[in-house]
Amino acid sequence: MSVEEAARKILFGLKQAGVNFVASLPDINLAPLLRLVEQNSEVTHVPLCREEEGIGICAGAYLVGKKCALIMQNGGFFNSNNAIVSTLLQYEIPVLLLIYYAGDIGDRTFSTTGGMTEPVLRALRIRYYLMREPDQAPEIIQRAQILAEDSKRPVALLLTKDVLGHRPAVGRF
Amino acid sequence: MKRFECLKALAAQARDALVVSSAGATTLEWQALRPSDGNFRVRTLGLCSSVALGMALGLPRRKVIALDGDGSLLMNLCSLPTIARMKPANLIHIVFDNQAYEASGCGETATASGTDLVGIALAAGIRKALWANSVESFTQAVSQALEQKELTLIGAKVDTTRTKVPPYPMDEVENKYRFIRHVEKTEQIQILKTSLPASYS
Repeated sequence: MSVEEAARKILFGLKQAGVNFVASLPDINLAPLLRLVEQNSEVTHVPLCREEEGIGICAGAYLVGKKCALIMQNGGFFNSNNAIVSTLLQYEIPVLLLIYYAGDIGDRTFSTTGGMTEPVLRALRIRYYLMREPDQAPEIIQRAQILAEDSKRPVALLLTKDVLGHRPAVGRF
Repeated sequence: MKRFECLKALAAQARDALVVSSAGATTLEWQALRPSDGNFRVRTLGLCSSVALGMALGLPRRKVIALDGDGSLLMNLCSLPTIARMKPANLIHIVFDNQAYEASGCGETATASGTDLVGIALAAGIRKALWANSVESFTQAVSQALEQKELTLIGAKVDTTRTKVPPYPMDEVENKYRFIRHVEKTEQIQILKTSLPASYS
């Protein structure tokens, strides 16, 4: 599957889930998805300077009725931890966190960041799902949004290179 | 200048504006002057301007006022270019600059040695950013910002005096629910939905 097709599946999932407000900071692997988000007129897109402000922006938008997702790299998830704790968790605000999983198995960079990602999510008691199959993305995103709303907490989706269409199904890494 | 006097002038004009305030005494003084479910207290230092931006973008026809402080804005300076980029015409960003981490025991902030927050806002691309040097000029700037449809940042140098007011009357989760219910009522929209078990539907 091409990266464009994979990005379309993820955006489709977000829209099916009712998400209409997205804040983001780019990673090269997220670029096709963020281009689609930017072009989509039904979604308000806020490009960020730093991920932590995105938590505040999404919280504010949620309080006035938007369904929000924050798309970022796992390094950016680390950047936003104080805001996640003292705004999202403290006030019980649901936001989808779509986190690009740098340093995933098979990557040649960021293994330290990758290794800390799931332990930090667990420490924050944030429920998360590792996404690999682009075809399953729409359903998982919709389920994650339901869980976020029902639990009134952020839910994280780990976007691997596979689900973003970057990793060849067969062949050399 | 005293922050409380500025807040009084704001309360006289704010009408149904949604007001987001930063961690610290400003929140308590504001709540005492304009008790309303349309007030939202931010607990993450720095995030006040960002929460207000999210609200302003989510409800473009409603005035949103951020009551920020120098310590808070210094921690999240990158909110200024983001606000400038999104340019919400309904957002009024007020920065009370007392040159101190007042809530944390009054250590000096960088503005005490010359950092100009209005200058930074202008350089970030917020076209209408100004210092109000007296309660009168603050009142006028606020009145103009409330009338016009233009993103505005108003800086006000204030002293560290606190006015004795009651503590905040609720916790964070209650603040959230009250605020959302207030938005639902005043905007006539539904935000919160309760799901029923399958057997009910």
